[in-house]
Amino acid sequence: MTNSTITATIDKILNQTEKSILSDISSELSNSRQKLDDSVSKLEAEYDKIIADGKKEADKIEKQIVGGSDIEARNKQLLALESSVNRVFATALEQITNSDRNSDYANLINSLLEESTQILGTTEVKVFTNSKDRDTVQSALSRFPGSELSSENIDCIGGVKLESKVGSMKFDNTIDAKIDRLKPLIRKEIASKFGVNE
Amino acid sequence: MTDKGGIQYSNIAEIKGPLVVVDDVDNAAFDELVEIETIEGERRLGKVLEVGNGKAIVQVFEGTTGLSISGTSAKFVGKVMEMPVSKDVLGRVFDGLGRPKDGLPDPIADKFIDINGEPMNPEQREYPKDFIQTGVSVIDGLVTLVRGQKLPIFSGSGMSHNLLAAQIARQASVVGTNDDFAVVFAAIGVQYSEAEYFRKSLEESGALKRSVLFLNTADDPAIERIITPRVALTVAEYLAFDLGMHVLVILTDMTNYAEALREISAAREEVPGRKGYPGYLYTDLSTIYERAGKLNGRKGSVTQIPILSMPSDDITHPIPDLTGYITEGQIVVGRDLFRQGVYPPINILMSLSRLMKDGIGEGSTREDHAEVANQVYDAYSRAQEVRALAGIVGKAGLTEIDLKYMDVGDVFEKEFLTQATDENRTIEETLAILWKIVSKLPKNEITKIKDKFVDKYYQGE
Repeated sequence: MTNSTITATIDKILNQTEKSILSDISSELSNSRQKLDDSVSKLEAEYDKIIADGKKEADKIEKQIVGGSDIEARNKQLLALESSVNRVFATALEQITNSDRNSDYANLINSLLEESTQILGTTEVKVFTNSKDRDTVQSALSRFPGSELSSENIDCIGGVKLESKVGSMKFDNTIDAKIDRLKPLIRKEIASKFGVNE
Repeated sequence: MTDKGGIQYSNIAEIKGPLVVVDDVDNAAFDELVEIETIEGERRLGKVLEVGNGKAIVQVFEGTTGLSISGTSAKFVGKVMEMPVSKDVLGRVFDGLGRPKDGLPDPIADKFIDINGEPMNPEQREYPKDFIQTGVSVIDGLVTLVRGQKLPIFSGSGMSHNLLAAQIARQASVVGTNDDFAVVFAAIGVQYSEAEYFRKSLEESGALKRSVLFLNTADDPAIERIITPRVALTVAEYLAFDLGMHVLVILTDMTNYAEALREISAAREEVPGRKGYPGYLYTDLSTIYERAGKLNGRKGSVTQIPILSMPSDDITHPIPDLTGYITEGQIVVGRDLFRQGVYPPINILMSLSRLMKDGIGEGSTREDHAEVANQVYDAYSRAQEVRALAGIVGKAGLTEIDLKYMDVGDVFEKEFLTQATDENRTIEETLAILWKIVSKLPKNEITKIKDKFVDKYYQGE
């Protein structure tokens, strides 16, 4: 084989190898490009998912923080309001306790007795009251035949407690009991003065 | 509310189970509230069950333990039991009788409402058709809850219904509207740890702000359980129809309620019905379940999810049986799925939401919702048949299409049904998973979905 033939063969092989390598590189390049293009959309989807998950988690934490602090603030407000309402009640009760037992008060006792005997359905009752109201009640009882004032005093701000003579029925018409029954309504009234539930 | 008090009677004739019989009573009224005072001055609440011949039978909510005939008195208050309500009840925790349990004072009442409620005028009822998103895929996707609906969860003892109830309470919301949403949660005869879990779960997720909790624990008197769902529903009705909120009421566990009813019935020596429950169990349950709904011209709604544990997983037991007659479908928690560790273990083949069709679709969830849900329901049903067949002939004996259905069943349970207890999925996410399941099937197997939706959402080859 001559030198020229050998050179031609080597050149041919080199050319073919070069072509093959270039073709491989080009195909790999396009493959890589394709993969890169694909991964961009995957990455974008992944990125969107991470952002969405993060946003969800942030919303959850925000809800926890805001919800918790809202409740805490509202509870403190409720406690403050209740303490104010209690102070109003205490002052009012003190005023009622120290009020004069005048003719208006006698009328009140009279109407309390009337209401109580009507509810019990009899005037044959034993009446209980506190030491301060004994005289007022005693004089009012003349209008209720069969009623008698018990010698026993009860602890209350004012008003009367009635018991049937047999002792099977009782009716509490003291001012304390009345306030107790109306307390929820009075609390609302007082709270509205503080601008709550208006 | 009145300033007139009631007469206090001290002639107690008999104390029998949760009942106290009072003698020489005039003017007592049916359902009237009674204050029982013990010799030590302790006060308990009760209500009149029967009056006549000078006697009144009083049911004591806190039980009669420690009461004696001498020294006990009964004061007939002159009104029925009322619940004080205002917007401030939101974020509060009450006991089974509606008394604060969170160390805070009584709410300052806007009004006082009879806990028995007023029956809804059927003519004024509005047909429920608006979607509620619970964030739980299986409910939102396949047994959709609709505002104003009553959809019970039938479970069994020891299963994860309480986890599910708490998750729904934390996550539930109305989508596509700015209307206020609230959750009223009534725990009836649950364990202390469960009650604490509910409270903490709502507190830590920030959902307590829009919730009201009524907790009657297992160690509370059983008779209190008769009242718990009623006070809860009274608050729910106020929030819905006075304040215009959409309210979801979760009552768990209604079986404990029915047990309490049976206890009273036995003490009254009534003729027992099935399994000793009173013959009026159906009527009584309906006075609770029928308080769900929407009213014409009113903005709010009351939706109910009562949860009941079926004794021995028996769906024919009187409680689930009678509940099923009243409610609009059921969500059944499956023992097999629970044993496999699936959460939430909902057996969709036994579950149904009768109002789902009106609450989904274009404008509510998405146009393709109904069809894709039907297709998945059908495919899962087929998967179950194939699994049974594989148990006999082995996997090798199955056809290629059978294997695809088996794959559908696995994906359904692993990716759609299974969900973390703190995972709140949107309806779009739920529908995307449904389409992922459908896409496991070849196109020619998709027979329940219109081509235009298949073209738009199908991801298979």
